[in-house]
Amino acid sequence: MSTGHVLLGLLSERPKHGYELKKEHDQRLPGAKPLAYGQVYATLQRLERGGLTEVAGTAQEGGPERTVHAITEAGRAELDRWLAEIEAPAPYVASPLFARVVVATLAGGTAEEYLLRQRAAHLTRMRELTARKASGSPAQVLAADYALQHLDADLRWIETALERHTVLKGETDA
Amino acid sequence: MITVVRMLARGRSRRERARGRLMAAGAALATVLLCAAAHLTAFRLDARRGALGILTEKEPRLMVALTLALLAVPAAAFIYQVSRLATATRERRLAALRLAGATPREVRLTGAAESGWSALAGGTLGAAVYLLAALVARWSLGDVVPVRPLLWTPVVLAAVVLGGALSGLRAGRHVVASPLGVVRRARPRGPRVRDLALVALGVGLLAAALAGKGRFLLGGKYGAAVAIAAGAVLLLFGLVLATAWLIRMAARRAGRGAAAPETLLAARMVEADPRAWARALSVVGLTVFFGSAVGAHQALTVFQSDLTAFQAASYALLYLALLTAMVTSAGALVAHQAEALLDHRRSFAVLAASGVPVPALGRVLTRQALVAALPVCVVSAVAGTGVVVLLLAELYARRPGALAVSVAGAAAMAGIGVLAAVLVARAARPILRRWVRPGELRAG
Amino acid sequence: MLEARTLRKSFGRTTALDGASVEIGEGEVVAVTGPSGSGKSTLLHCLAGIIRPEAGEVLFAGRRLDTLDEDARTRLRRENFGVVFQFGELVPELTAEENVVLPLLFGGRGRRESLEAARSWLERLDVADCAGQRPAELSGGQLQRVAVARALAAEPRVIFADEPTGALDSLAGERVMGELVGAARESRATLVVVTHDNRVAAYADREIALRDGRVVAGATAATGGTADGTPGEAAAGASAAGGVSR
Repeated sequence: MSTGHVLLGLLSERPKHGYELKKEHDQRLPGAKPLAYGQVYATLQRLERGGLTEVAGTAQEGGPERTVHAITEAGRAELDRWLAEIEAPAPYVASPLFARVVVATLAGGTAEEYLLRQRAAHLTRMRELTARKASGSPAQVLAADYALQHLDADLRWIETALERHTVLKGETDA
Repeated sequence: MITVVRMLARGRSRRERARGRLMAAGAALATVLLCAAAHLTAFRLDARRGALGILTEKEPRLMVALTLALLAVPAAAFIYQVSRLATATRERRLAALRLAGATPREVRLTGAAESGWSALAGGTLGAAVYLLAALVARWSLGDVVPVRPLLWTPVVLAAVVLGGALSGLRAGRHVVASPLGVVRRARPRGPRVRDLALVALGVGLLAAALAGKGRFLLGGKYGAAVAIAAGAVLLLFGLVLATAWLIRMAARRAGRGAAAPETLLAARMVEADPRAWARALSVVGLTVFFGSAVGAHQALTVFQSDLTAFQAASYALLYLALLTAMVTSAGALVAHQAEALLDHRRSFAVLAASGVPVPALGRVLTRQALVAALPVCVVSAVAGTGVVVLLLAELYARRPGALAVSVAGAAAMAGIGVLAAVLVARAARPILRRWVRPGELRAG
Repeated sequence: MLEARTLRKSFGRTTALDGASVEIGEGEVVAVTGPSGSGKSTLLHCLAGIIRPEAGEVLFAGRRLDTLDEDARTRLRRENFGVVFQFGELVPELTAEENVVLPLLFGGRGRRESLEAARSWLERLDVADCAGQRPAELSGGQLQRVAVARALAAEPRVIFADEPTGALDSLAGERVMGELVGAARESRATLVVVTHDNRVAAYADREIALRDGRVVAGATAATGGTADGTPGEAAAGASAAGGVSR
């Protein structure tokens, strides 16, 4: 994911200054890692050099004077191009969870117990997310949905692994 | 084609087999009744033998023949009711045929062949029984009983089989349109205006025939007889279908004011499908109608001291016919009850699981019967008595007690009709108990 | 509140429950999970007194439930339990409102009082507009919310739900679960949800996991997902989606 494109997206609403961009980024993408100020300014500079944004003036609301940035025509075109692209479906089978479950099933005996504990941990996290959804902002609900469905996918995979494990074990025992 | 039918016959469920047998029984009954009616019109007229006069005298003989022919109506209603049993399994089977690549035509033909076969088996049995009875009658009564009209028997048989096959053609019509049609259960239709048109047509035919005083536009005397019979049958069918309106109205009223949950549920269930109840109760209504009419007529003779053996015999025969009709109607009611229970099985199971006692569900069944049967029987009784009282108003005026007697008779007939419906509903309780077990609740 | 001890139940040659034991506290929201055929629904039916186990005991509020006769169990179900089924299972001939009223009438309440209760529950679940419609005219989500209203209207102490979102898409399912959990917490009723959907299970305070007719996790509150054992306190008056006690 490109931070530049996210900033372009935020600017497509209206011209904003750097601090505003940082705040909105963290608010709209609550699941993502918070953005550092330095990164915001570096990215804005890069965008401006490429002609995708331009300085639209300054604003002062009690505090220090801030530069307001606006998206250019070229910037809009770039944003559209990026939105038209699809994300390559990426099965992250290299995740630590995957490795652990595979090793656990190989180890035999303790696999089932481990998988059940992993399941409990996942469910606890899902419970927290579900509770958060009840009172969260729309952005938080979206983020919680995303996390919930991924955790659910993990759980379903663990479930299948458990059953396969039983089946495979039956085969080798026989 | 025949191979397919045979293959399917082997795989039939027990319920479907039972339906086949019941259809055959209905066909046998219809055949016997129609054969008797056809034969009777040809009995020799001259030989007058006391009580047998009703079979040999012209006027009463025609009435008896007509009664017998009309008795075939309940038999037909019974066959139709039975043909609706196990409809779900049957339609699923026919749909599977469609999905397996059979054309709509082939599915229709399969259905027709199946029910035609049941009708043929039953009809043959009925014809055999009647021929035997006719031979016994010939042997005991001599030449009063002509032999040649027995040649009509194959014609009657053919008509019965044709009727069976036609009902089979209709049976697959939900499936024919779409192989997946059975999945979507159409909402049962309400009463239609067409039903009232039948009543009008029947009344018209009867009026035309009666106005001609034994003569008719076509076919003279025989034409008049045929027109009367056809008019009566049309009128009866129309009235039966019109009872759907009556039942729905009664159910709606009962539901609106219901304080007891059993009544509310029963009324709403009847209201949702009044046609099914009208069909099932049609025969009961007919019986009550005729019973009240006969009772009203008899009320006049109660005050006669000189009741002849002839009259006694004719009443005996009429009551025998009424008994037959009542038994047939009870059969149709049982078939309907089974169908209705099957329909509502899941609802009842869910209610039982949520804490509704099974006896209360049993009360729902009996109240359904009450809500539907009461208006039908009351209207039939009033109509039956009314017709006779109006026709014989003069005689009634001369015998003041007769009216009270006929009203009492009509009330008794209506009571018997309602009682029959309620008893059938009560008899269904053990099935209900078996069907509300939680096994019914297992999802998917 | 609700307890099962070493339940056994088989249907023909399949064993549905093979020594399952659970303990459920008052006001708790638990999810019974497990792969298909693990005995979830059978456990629910045993706990709700719909069927009797072949061996073992079921206790409700300290009273043996499995030894009661059919009449007594039916009365107990009617007075204390509410059930929500997978497909709503409303009576198709009755309107939504009448479906909610019916169990109340069977419970011996007056017509007017029942109607009022039904209306307020339909309103609470945001299906008051559908009161006069029959089930065939309702969407899956509306249908299920009416079913929830029906289960809750008699103010049961325990609500059993068997795959309540099984026939719904995820948003409609979320709404139904939110209402169900929220209403249960508000009326301090115990809620037992059978589900194979982890996202539904995540609404519960605790998961009771079944495998092959045995409980493998979460048999008692102490071994369950939340350890504090005071579910619902914080969320009792919370929003419709219901909260979790942490």
